[in-house]
Amino acid sequence: MEILLLAFYAVGYFVLGGADIGVGMLLPYLGRTADERRRVLSTITPLFLGNEVWLVAVAGVLTGAFPLLEGRLLSGLYPVVVALLIGWIVRDVGLWTRGRVDRAAWRAMCDTAVVAGSWTVVLSWGWMFAGFLSGVVDRPLTEPVALLGIPAIVVLFATHGLAFAALRLRGRLRSRARGLSGTSGAGVTFALTSGGMALLCVFAGLRLPLAQSTADPATLALLTPALLVLTPLLVAAQVWMWWMFSRPEPARAPSTVTAPSPHERSEYKP
Amino acid sequence: MDTLDLARLQFALTAGSHFLFVALTIGLATLVAVVQTWATLTRSPVHERMTRFWGQLYVINYAMGIVTGLVMEFQIGLTWSGLTHFAGNVFGGALAMETLMAFFVESTFLAIWIFGWNRLNRWVHLAALWVVTITAYASAYWILVSNGFLQNPVGYRVVDGVLRLTDASAVLTNPAAVRAFLHILCGSLVVAACFMAGVSAYHLRRRTGEQEFFRKSLRIGVSVTLPAVVATASFGGLQFGLLQPTKLAAYQGDTQLMTRLQAEMTATHGPGDYIPPTGLVMGAAIVMLLVFAVLLFTSIANILLMMVPAAVRRFRLWHVLLTAMIPLPFVSMLAGWVFREVGRQPWVVYGLLTTEQALSDVSPAAVRLSLIAFGALFGVLIVLNTWLLARHARRGPDAVAIGRTSLPAEPAPVIAF
Repeated sequence: MEILLLAFYAVGYFVLGGADIGVGMLLPYLGRTADERRRVLSTITPLFLGNEVWLVAVAGVLTGAFPLLEGRLLSGLYPVVVALLIGWIVRDVGLWTRGRVDRAAWRAMCDTAVVAGSWTVVLSWGWMFAGFLSGVVDRPLTEPVALLGIPAIVVLFATHGLAFAALRLRGRLRSRARGLSGTSGAGVTFALTSGGMALLCVFAGLRLPLAQSTADPATLALLTPALLVLTPLLVAAQVWMWWMFSRPEPARAPSTVTAPSPHERSEYKP
Repeated sequence: MDTLDLARLQFALTAGSHFLFVALTIGLATLVAVVQTWATLTRSPVHERMTRFWGQLYVINYAMGIVTGLVMEFQIGLTWSGLTHFAGNVFGGALAMETLMAFFVESTFLAIWIFGWNRLNRWVHLAALWVVTITAYASAYWILVSNGFLQNPVGYRVVDGVLRLTDASAVLTNPAAVRAFLHILCGSLVVAACFMAGVSAYHLRRRTGEQEFFRKSLRIGVSVTLPAVVATASFGGLQFGLLQPTKLAAYQGDTQLMTRLQAEMTATHGPGDYIPPTGLVMGAAIVMLLVFAVLLFTSIANILLMMVPAAVRRFRLWHVLLTAMIPLPFVSMLAGWVFREVGRQPWVVYGLLTTEQALSDVSPAAVRLSLIAFGALFGVLIVLNTWLLARHARRGPDAVAIGRTSLPAEPAPVIAF
C-alpha cells in the first residue's frame, strides 16, 4: 500500500509538474517576443506551485514510510539531488518574481532563470532515472549508458510540455506548440506523454528496493491509514484548483476584446 | 573543516534562511486572515485594500519560504542519512505528515487564494486563506514534533540498533514539541506585528496619501506586538524546565556541572566531548533575552503612544524607531534557534545518536561545493526578498497587483504573476 501511495504521488508529480517544467524548457521556442513569453508563462504560473508539491509529497512518503531508502538514495545521489534542488529553486524564483519589477531587463533575467532552471531540473531527473533504469540506485551513473537515457528523458519532458502548451494556448502560439505533435490532437498527445511519464515512474520504481526498505510495522500502522485518509482530500483540493484554471488563455485577437467577460478582463497577479 | 562541520554549516544555513522567511509568513498570514475576515464581514473598503497590500507582501515572502523549504525537505536525507536510518521509524512519520497535511494543502490553497480573487465567492475566498493559515500552523507543529523528538526522545524503544515507535501519543504531545510550537507561533506574530507597525510608520512619517490606511495598520501592529511578546516569553520560559542538562550547564556557564556531566556521559557513552560550545550557547541565549527585554519595554511604550492620535499622525521620531525595529524580532528568532540547536550538540538525538554518527557517507569536496552553491543562492534570496519587500512596502497600496482588476487598456488579459 505504501508503494502504491508513493507511486501515486510520483506519477502525479511527473504528469503535472513535468508539464510545467517542459513548458519552461521550451520557453525560447514557444515565446519569441517578450509578450509571447509572458503569455506562455501565464499558462503555468497559477499551477506550478500546486504541481511541485506532489514531489514534496513523494519526499514525505519516502521519509515516513521508506526511511532507509530515503537516506540511501539522497546521500548516494548527492550531486544529482543538489543539482536538481538548485535548478528547482532558480526556476521557481524566476516564476515567482517575474511580475514584481516592471522592467524588460528584469523579465529577461527571470525568463533566463526559468529556462536554465527547467533544463537543470530535467537533466538531473534524466541523470537519476538513467541510473534507476539501469539498476544503479545509490551512486550517480557514470557509465556511457547515461548518454542514451538522459536525452530520452529530455525528449519526454519536452513533448509533454509542448502537448500541455498546445492545450492551454491559442492562436499562433498554439500552432507553434502543436508543430511537434503532428496531426493527432493535443489531447491525445498529452495523454500519450502522460502515459510515458507514468511508465517512467513504474519502471524506475520496479528497480528500487522498495519492499525491503519499508518502515517498522508499528509506524506504518499509523502512518498509512492517515495518508490514505488525507490523499482523497488533497486530490479534491487539486481538482478544484485545476477546475478554476481550466479555461484556456483567452485569445488576443482584437475582435474578442469588444465584449470581454469580466473574467477575461482581469489580470491576476499576486 | 571536515565533512561534519561542513554538513552542519550547510544545515544551519538552510534552516536559518528558511526560518527567517517562515517566521514572517506564519505571523503575517494570521494578520492578513484576520483583516480579510473583517473586510468580508463589514465590506469595509479600507480593510479590503489592507488585505491586498499586506497580502501581497505576504505572498512575496512566502515564495522565499517555500524555495528554502524545498531544500529543507531533502536536507536530512542528503547529509544526515544516519539519522533517518536510526530514527526514521519514529520521527519520519511527522515529516511525512508535514509534507502532505501542511505543505501540500497550504500551497494548493495559496494558489487558489492568489488567483481566486474576483473569481470565487468572497466567503469561499476568505475560507481559502484560513486554510492556508491553519495549515501553516500545522506545518510548524509537525516540524516541531520531529525536532522535539530530537531534543527530548520519547515513545520509542531501541531494537537491533534502530528505534521503533512504541507510543505515538507521547511523540505527538512531547512537551519539548508543544511548548516550542506555541513559543514559535507567538514569536512569528511578534515578527509580523513589528513588520506591520514598522512599514505603516514609514508611510505615516513620509506623510504619503494613505493616512487612514496606515494608521489602522499601525494600530493592529502595535496592539498585537505586546500580547504576542508576553505570550512568546511565557512559552519560552516554560521550556527552561525541559532543557537538557548539558545545554543548561553551558547556558549558565556552570563549569562544575559541566565537568560532572562530561564524566557521567563518558561513563555511559564512551570517550568524547559531550559539552556544547559554551560561548555560542550562552551568547545566543543572551541575545534572545536582550531583544525580548527591548521589545517588551518598547511595546508597552508603543501601546501608550498609540492611544494619542497626534502621536500616531505626527510623532516622526517614534515612526523612525518603529521602522528601525523591524529586524529585531528576526534577530531574536535566530538567536533562540541557535540556542536550541547548538545547545544539543554533540547529539542529534539527545543521548542516543551523535551528529557524527548521523552523517551521510559523502565526500568533503561534494559538501563543500553544495555549501558554496546553496550559500550563494540563499544569500541572493535574502537580499532579493528584502529588496522586493522594501520596494513593494514603499510603493504603498495603490501599486498592489494582487487581486486587481486591470484597466481596459491592458494589452492581453492573461493570468500572470
